[in-house]
Amino acid sequence: MRLPLRGPQLASLAILIVVLVMFSMVEPKFFSTRNVSNMLAFMPELGIIALGMCLLLTAGEFDLSVGAVFALGPCIVMMLAQNEVLPIGPALLVGLIVCMTVGLINGLVVTKIGISSFLVTLSMLLMARGAALYLTQGFPLRSWNEPGFWVTLLSGDFYIGGLRIYASLFWFVCLALVAAYVLNVSRLGNWISAVGSNRSAAVARGVPADAVKIGLFITTSSLAGLAGMISAFRINSASPVAGSEYELEVIAMVVVGGTALMGGYGTVFGTVVGVILLRAIRNGIIMIGVPGLAYSVFVGGIIMALLILHAVIGRMGGQRRE
Amino acid sequence: MSEILAVRNLAKSFGNVVALKSASFSMTEGEVVALLGDNGAGKSTLIKVVSGVYPPDSGEVRIQGRSVTIRSTRDAMALGIETIHQDTSLAPQLSIARNLFLGREPVWLPWLGALAPMDFKALRQAASHLLRQVGISKDLDAATPVSSLSGGERQSIAISRAMQFAAKLIILDEPTNNLGVEETRGVLRFIKQMKTEGHSVLFITHNIHHVLSVADRAVIMRRGEVVAECSIAGTDVLTIEGLIMGVDLHAAEAAQA
Repeated sequence: MRLPLRGPQLASLAILIVVLVMFSMVEPKFFSTRNVSNMLAFMPELGIIALGMCLLLTAGEFDLSVGAVFALGPCIVMMLAQNEVLPIGPALLVGLIVCMTVGLINGLVVTKIGISSFLVTLSMLLMARGAALYLTQGFPLRSWNEPGFWVTLLSGDFYIGGLRIYASLFWFVCLALVAAYVLNVSRLGNWISAVGSNRSAAVARGVPADAVKIGLFITTSSLAGLAGMISAFRINSASPVAGSEYELEVIAMVVVGGTALMGGYGTVFGTVVGVILLRAIRNGIIMIGVPGLAYSVFVGGIIMALLILHAVIGRMGGQRRE
Repeated sequence: MSEILAVRNLAKSFGNVVALKSASFSMTEGEVVALLGDNGAGKSTLIKVVSGVYPPDSGEVRIQGRSVTIRSTRDAMALGIETIHQDTSLAPQLSIARNLFLGREPVWLPWLGALAPMDFKALRQAASHLLRQVGISKDLDAATPVSSLSGGERQSIAISRAMQFAAKLIILDEPTNNLGVEETRGVLRFIKQMKTEGHSVLFITHNIHHVLSVADRAVIMRRGEVVAECSIAGTDVLTIEGLIMGVDLHAAEAAQA
């Protein structure tokens, strides 16, 4: 509470700055308006999911179904809208309700039946992905491209100088502020951290632990669905295979930012740093000329290096305290 | 002295395992009662039923003579029962202040419910006041995470939290478990302090010397039932150990001699 930024967050921030400086030195075009626009278009979509995942990890659970929900949500919306079952507004609402239901089921099975979130959300990943594939028969749906309120709200864009800014950036910034408020300022944030830190202690103090977790599963699924809809509107296509492996990338972003994988401690600031960091790394190593096929080797290697760094910093911090 | 807590024929099973067969006892206001028994005697289950962790299968709980239904820990706290569970009372990653007020955070705009912003100033002030009150103020900042505290400090914080909410009945599950000599003495001092401040205390322990030094009365359980009660004045270690084991140790020693 005294220091707004604790060790893990500062470490992530320092690494981010080093990475950005390194890329810009090796490849000056890294900070060109075109490349920054590119990064800013894509980054918030993963970032929005990462915010939900950050809170969920803090409470000691995680969600592997977000990538599949990212695809399922917009596929449902586009099918309803294009077959003229519903106008686009209500179709978006139905899509969001489906995503919330997925989160509700995840949350209920994890808390009430007591199965680990790894297994529950892995099954949900398969179900949601399978549903998206079956509903669309495997083909991407052309997205909604009639201009209007909803399209502007989700994927409108404008230029500042040469920089193209999408509405998704505002969604990401606003949602990050909300998430930071919830985790750090509201009493719910105290409950989330407590539930992840020591569930039985929280329950013994009257904290509604199951309700907190179920709420966070619903939030995470909704955010994944929202991100999917934003993405579908932006690229003008709703694909049933969109968002594959996003779950792992998002979890990596959150953990690289300093949030504890096993719960009890989370940082929204660190998550935002982690989101920018991983996207910058993905973008930057291609720009500096790493061969396309070797790309994942580098991304994985860098993530592991960051995690090792966090573990070392964490251990040093622990020793100092004792 | 009026009755604070009474349980009548309390029973609780987990599947085929009968943890509590039919337990009955009562305690009066301002009394310190030690709950004794071997492992598996049903002590922990009994206090978990009273503190709202488990619902009982059958039986009755009375608080101050009134029959109550305790469905959750919130219900128990509302009735003035504060419980300090063994090793599980605090969230290690959270600060002392956040732990002290967990579930009862002081907030601005309380109508916002769970989303209400915490009043950090009040939180910190109340926390440091509390730390001073229990005598562990020495350089311990309320923002320190609990994970960096010793076992004794943690137990002191859990106990001060229970006392602060002016609970009628404070329940402690093996409060001196894993503590050093000095820290154990601190906890026992707390129990005496609770009594002088008018709280009733029910505590589980395996250490009979602790019972003799702070309790007014011992309640002994065996196989899910209360089998004996005795006043501490006029009893000794051997008698109590005998009651726990279900044998007359005085007679056994006499036979050996």
